[in-house]
This record gives sequence, C-alpha cells and structure tokens, in this order.
Amino acid sequence: MIHSIEEYLDVLKAELQGSDSATIQDALADAEEHLRAALASLRENQPETSEEEALAQAIEQYGSPEETASAYKEVERRTSPALVRETSAQQSSMLKRFLGVYDDPKAWGALLYMLISLVTGIVYFTWVVTGLSLSVSLAIFIFGLLFAVFFAVSLRGLALLEGRIVEGLLGVRMPRRSLFFQKGTTWFERLKTNLTDRHIWLTLIYFFLQLPLGVIYFTLIVTLFSLSIGLMAAPLVQSITDFPVMSFGVARYYAPLWSTPLFLLAGFLIWTLTMHLGKFIGQLHGTYAKTFLVTE
Amino acid sequence: MVDSSALTKKFQKEMNAGIASLVLLSVLDKSHGPMYGYQIARLLEDYSGDAAFMKQGALYPVLHSLEGSGLLESKVEPSVSGPPRRYYEITPAGRETLVVWLGVWKQMKSFVDRAVKGA
Repeated sequence: MIHSIEEYLDVLKAELQGSDSATIQDALADAEEHLRAALASLRENQPETSEEEALAQAIEQYGSPEETASAYKEVERRTSPALVRETSAQQSSMLKRFLGVYDDPKAWGALLYMLISLVTGIVYFTWVVTGLSLSVSLAIFIFGLLFAVFFAVSLRGLALLEGRIVEGLLGVRMPRRSLFFQKGTTWFERLKTNLTDRHIWLTLIYFFLQLPLGVIYFTLIVTLFSLSIGLMAAPLVQSITDFPVMSFGVARYYAPLWSTPLFLLAGFLIWTLTMHLGKFIGQLHGTYAKTFLVTE
Repeated sequence: MVDSSALTKKFQKEMNAGIASLVLLSVLDKSHGPMYGYQIARLLEDYSGDAAFMKQGALYPVLHSLEGSGLLESKVEPSVSGPPRRYYEITPAGRETLVVWLGVWKQMKSFVDRAVKGA
C-alpha cells in the first residue's frame, strides 16, 4: 500500500533501476504531474473521500509502479534515441569506415556542437559568474534568498536547454524536462533543497567548464578546417594569384604542378581525420554532459 | 491448465501497443488546443466507460515516443496548482501520419471482422 506520491515515486525509481537515466527522469516527472493533477481533481469532485483513498484510486487508474515501469521499458526498447543508427553486423572495410564518417549525422552534429559551444559557453559562463556572485553578495539581505532561488531555478532551465542541444547534436539521450518543486514549499525550503542538491553543483561546474571547453573546441575545429581548406586551395591560389605556398622572409616557395594532387589529398585527409576527431570528442562530451546534467 | 487471465492481459497489452499511438494522435488531432497528460487520460476514460483498456501511466511513454518521432510537440507551462504541466500538440507531420494510420486501421478492422466472422 502506497501512502504518498513521494513513496510512489521512490518505488517507481527502484523499479526502473537499470533503465536509461533520462527515461527514469521522464517517468518520475510524468507520474508526479499526473498523480498530483488526479489527486487535486478527485479531492475537488469528491470532497468526502480521504486523501489516502483518493490516492489509492488515482494510482489504481494510473497503474502500479511495476506496471508503469514496464510500460516505459517497453517503449524504450522499441524506440531508439535520435541519431542512433542500427549498427550493421557485417564488418565493412577500413576505407569504407574511414570515409563513412561523411555519412554519419553524429560526426556533423558534433562539429556543429563544437562550433556553437563557444557561444553557449560564453553565455553559460557569464550567467553563472553573475548569478553566483550576486547570490553570495545579496545573501545578507532577505531578498538575497529570493534571488538565490531564482538563480537556482534558472540553472535548471539552462541545464535542460543544454541537454536538448546535446541530445539533438550529439545524439545522447538526455532528460526531456527538469524536475520541479513540490507545491507548498517555502522559499527557504527551496533554497535548502537546492543547496543540498548535488546535481545543482554539478550543473554549475559544467557551465563553468563550458567556456574553456568551448574555446578549445572552437579553436580546434576552425584551425583544422582552415588548414585543410588552405592545403586544398593552395595550388589553385598560387596559380591564379602568384601567392606562394610558403614564404620565409623574402624567400618564396612555390609548389610544383605535380604536387597539386598531394595537396588535395593532404587537405582531404586532414578534414576526414577532423571529422573522426569531432565524432570522438562529441561522444566524450555527450557522456560527460549526461553525468553532470541528468539527475539520477 | 492455461492461465487465461494472464494470457488475456498479455493479449490486451500487445494490442494496445499500436492502438495507443493511433488513439493519442486522433485525440490531439480533434482537440481545440494543446492538452496535458491528465486531461487526455480523463477524455479517454470518458470514451472507454467502465472498461479501462490501459493504465493511464502507460500513455505517457507513448506520448514521449510520438514526440520523439516528430508527430507531436510539447511545451511545459506552469500550472495554477501543483507542478508545471507538459502540453502536447499534434504537428503537421502528425496529421499526415494520422491519415495514413487511419487507412491502415480501417483495412485492419475490416480484415479482422471478416476473419472472425469467417464470411
């Protein structure tokens, strides 16, 4: 017999052990939203039923934690997250796998992510530094508490946004929504839950690190991209504009005509390797983001 | 001895798997605006009467997967009472898919009817 919504959520969480953490978060949020709505409407329509009976009735209609957990597992089994492709059993050749990266949405997504991570990194960093310093310095006033709660809530929102970006571009399943506060908690209690929530601190660290990481990602991609394009274009440019491939002081070096294919090949190789590197970094970053942003 | 109630439950569950998607899409297609989970569950309760075909909790994962495939879209909005609610709305792609699915459903229904009747 389950006596409260919190108890239901605990049992549901235990039942979902081993599932994807994002699925667990979805399931808990759905159950909480539904049961609270059901409970409120039952209490309104039949004021004579006790809270316990109303909850039992709501759970009866919603399904026991076991039933609910199995429904989520079932759907999770049938659907795969964005960008996940069926990995073919047959081993393709090295060359095919090497060039196959051009057909891999994950690689392109990761490159795009690395490009925009500079912008998002700056935004997150600024927000976190401003919010944190204001929260600390305003703490001597009463409304400082309000501000701290506002900041914590905004962090959850930003974490959700970053999760959507990571899921869309890196193909790592992330939470569909943030967990919310229970009704009827005071501001002070909310602040306390936030401060003791390991997750909010992890989110803070993530947002801090996002700026240096964004700078590194951006520089890496832009440098490698320019290098490969530069190499590929060098023979052509030198033939049209008289601009040398290399120049040291006054010495100018021109590449001979026969080396044109070599330049093209080198540029192409560097770009293909960059795609592989991007894909690899994307996977790493996805795992890292998941550990830091998804509430277990 | 065959445990018929367990078998019936399993049968029901297997049938629900596809039908739930069709029903949810239809409900959201007909609704005048975005709906949240509990609202949809209540509406389905009205349709099904006493015979509840599936637990309300099983609707949500289907909603997520429909959203994941782009047939629905959702947004979270704060509610007057309690936690914020997720409102679902059908997308143009969802409407197109629904038309196709309804065609499949009609064919399926008449096929099953004929097969069961044996005529």
